[in-house]
Amino acid sequence: MAKRFMLVSLVFILLLSACSGGGNNTENATRHTDNGNSSTNVSGEKEATEDESKEQADPFGKYAETITLNYGKEVDPTDKSLPEGDTPENNQYSRYIKEVLNIDTKVTWQAASGTNYDQKVNLAISSNDLPDALIVKDSQLRAMVKAGQLADLTEAFEKYASPSVKKFMEKTNGVSQKSVTFDGKMYAIPSIQVQSDGVHQMWIRKDWLDKLGLEAPKTIEDLEKVARAFVEQDPDDNGKDDTIGIAGQQNGGRLYANFLESTNNTYGLDPIFGAYQSYPGFWLKNESGEAVYGSILPETKEALAKLRDMYANGLIDRELGIRKSASETVTDGKAGIFFGPWWMGYGPLPDAIKNNPEANWQAYLLPLDADGEFNAHMGAPSTLFVVVRKGYEHPEAVIKMLNLLVRDESTFDISVPIGHYPLRVPMSYTDESEYSAQALREVLAGTKTAADFTDPGYKLLAADIANIKKVKKEPYDNLDIEYWDPKADEGTWKRAYSLLVGSSSLTQDYNKIYSVLYSQTKTMESRWTNLKKLEDETFLKIIMGAAPIDDFDKFVEDWKRQGGDIITKEVQEHVK
Amino acid sequence: MRNQSFTKHYYIMLLPGFIWLLLISIIPMFGIVIAFQDFNPGKGFFQSEWVGLDNFEYMFALNDTPVIFFNTVFIAVMKMIGNLIVPLIFAIMLNELRMMIVKRWIQTIVYLPHFLSWVILSGILLDVFSYTGPINTVMTFIGLDPILFFARADLFPFIIVASDVWKEFGFNTIIYLAALTSINPSLYEAAAIDGAARLRRMWHVTLPGLRTTIVLLAVLSLGNVLNAGFDQIFNLYNPLVYSTGDIIDTWVYREGLLNMQYGLATAVGLLKSVVSFILIIVSYQLASRFANYRIF
Repeated sequence: MAKRFMLVSLVFILLLSACSGGGNNTENATRHTDNGNSSTNVSGEKEATEDESKEQADPFGKYAETITLNYGKEVDPTDKSLPEGDTPENNQYSRYIKEVLNIDTKVTWQAASGTNYDQKVNLAISSNDLPDALIVKDSQLRAMVKAGQLADLTEAFEKYASPSVKKFMEKTNGVSQKSVTFDGKMYAIPSIQVQSDGVHQMWIRKDWLDKLGLEAPKTIEDLEKVARAFVEQDPDDNGKDDTIGIAGQQNGGRLYANFLESTNNTYGLDPIFGAYQSYPGFWLKNESGEAVYGSILPETKEALAKLRDMYANGLIDRELGIRKSASETVTDGKAGIFFGPWWMGYGPLPDAIKNNPEANWQAYLLPLDADGEFNAHMGAPSTLFVVVRKGYEHPEAVIKMLNLLVRDESTFDISVPIGHYPLRVPMSYTDESEYSAQALREVLAGTKTAADFTDPGYKLLAADIANIKKVKKEPYDNLDIEYWDPKADEGTWKRAYSLLVGSSSLTQDYNKIYSVLYSQTKTMESRWTNLKKLEDETFLKIIMGAAPIDDFDKFVEDWKRQGGDIITKEVQEHVK
Repeated sequence: MRNQSFTKHYYIMLLPGFIWLLLISIIPMFGIVIAFQDFNPGKGFFQSEWVGLDNFEYMFALNDTPVIFFNTVFIAVMKMIGNLIVPLIFAIMLNELRMMIVKRWIQTIVYLPHFLSWVILSGILLDVFSYTGPINTVMTFIGLDPILFFARADLFPFIIVASDVWKEFGFNTIIYLAALTSINPSLYEAAAIDGAARLRRMWHVTLPGLRTTIVLLAVLSLGNVLNAGFDQIFNLYNPLVYSTGDIIDTWVYREGLLNMQYGLATAVGLLKSVVSFILIIVSYQLASRFANYRIF
């Protein structure tokens, strides 16, 4: 009898765990919601007001007593730059903050950069279990404001933000300010990014071009010709048919930047779309001034047809969208062309050059459209936001940290990447990279000197000018890799190469296309995932030949029917 | 009947299981209220706005819903069948093996993959099936065109099922092998004396001896008919195979965690649990009728 009961109980457990297993994923995630911050809230706010009245509003003021700031950190798992004994939590930057501001920064949790970090932040939001401060994206910021999880930073920013930081904000014509203001209150400190983060250019192996006697491709036809030569003529001379014309995006990556993630889409195919005046993923204005979604326009179909053609001819990485890591193709010296923003000197190029010191990657604003123009869709000036949990005693601490970063960034030894600075978001003038590139050129040419550049807002320029000759060999106007000395000072080289090679071209004229909207509307909150899935799936299938090009028309219809039309109306309302 | 003091140990041994169940499976079940709310994490379960069945209505209006339910059931049922039959055949084959050392070795080696997580195995699989990977190299060698396996929506469910069966069959084999040892050897002897050959003995002695185990495993696995394996698919899929590879769990992950649509995602998860529950009841009835297997 007893034995039978044992068996019954055992099986009962198995059954229960089997049927409850289904609900777990979501339910676990959304548990622990009501673990009452309320009591700490009240006392916290009181303390904060007392503190503020005692302490003078000094943007760089050192706390009399050490305060603790817990935050969630994004860590690049491939980064091995930290010296022995240092950790993501305790490194040169955190120690500097401790020393100057007396803020003890503690890492509550860390997650690998990209999706992992986003997911971790989403979990923190949904379980209402937030560290004192975090870096979040636009959609997360909105969710947190809606959930009432954030501290109002209006007053703290007004009091404590340094003049430089305020000036950066002003330079975006209120766009950055608007992106963090809800009902007249400021709920986050926005990043203020260089506009070049959103301009994707063509990076190409110039040594391969030279070997095969080719020029950098100007038009789409040229691009096809060059890519074909890269694939067929064994430019790496290893006797194997293993080279890739144009590198493609990895699994989970974006084929093109979109209005929600509008910048830094390395390995995307953005410039090829641009050459057809197609801007998928962006909200554009049509001739009558109304908002339309770029992905459903006929230009996009045209671009997709060409991409499909190129893929079928083997000019684009065959493992487009499937590959685990797109950077491999560049660092291993397999790919001849990829598209990316100006800062490729920070990565993946250092690894590419370590593997092959002759890999001469150069950047061009190409290919051009039928009218001979380069079209770039432009990113939002602010895509990252530093937020502070409601009830944290020292909301101004993060502002002080950013003040300090802006003031002293140029003095840091960046062989440890600046990403290790706690709660660092990029802050600068939006034209910083073009301006710095131009300045460096003039200094190298001898037409200007360091004394000509005095605006301290270009915070790294003085250091750039002082160090440039350490890594740039003569002749100064030849940017080929053989005239650089990356080993002399790798930190400086990364920045200087990114500026001179990656940003010089941006001083040319090119068409800048802005999205009319860089955030979600109401209906998007519930519908966008599905529309996005439809789009991703259809476009990737069309390019890779798994669906006919005419599926595009069906996509447009489905997209409109499944909520696209409603959303378009909302966007039109928003723009008016 | 045994005395009470002896059986007490068993209850104590069960306790951790019950506590685990309570913490991990029962308590979180109250989270299903989110399915009927416009959940706001700042306000919690108690203050969030109630929206009735809105989330369910929207769910059924979505074009995706039938597709992801079909994908889930298709993949899960194929996995159930594969994980029932392949280990059974393998266990019987192993049982017929007379060299104990070889048997032990094979047994150990085939169940090794069970202990690797899908995060690791998916990396290996992606490499093995990649355009320049070993499988395509062999295919080119014998004159076939290389295939981009993970770009083929038509092949994806089968790769998923095959790799899952490959990972798990060694482990399931052990369950069958354990059951095989409980078959009375005298039955085999009697059958041999009656002149039954090897295959006959397998059919008339081994399989009936395993019947209860097979039914038990089938019944228990029916509860998983809507669990197609999140870890595995999440690590292997991409937009090209959404049409055949997107399952309830991956969809809920994208919608609930990435897009923060808690209500909708919980509604889908709840529906899944309800369907699973019904399936378990039904399968139990079937088992009691056809295999005379009863728990209560």
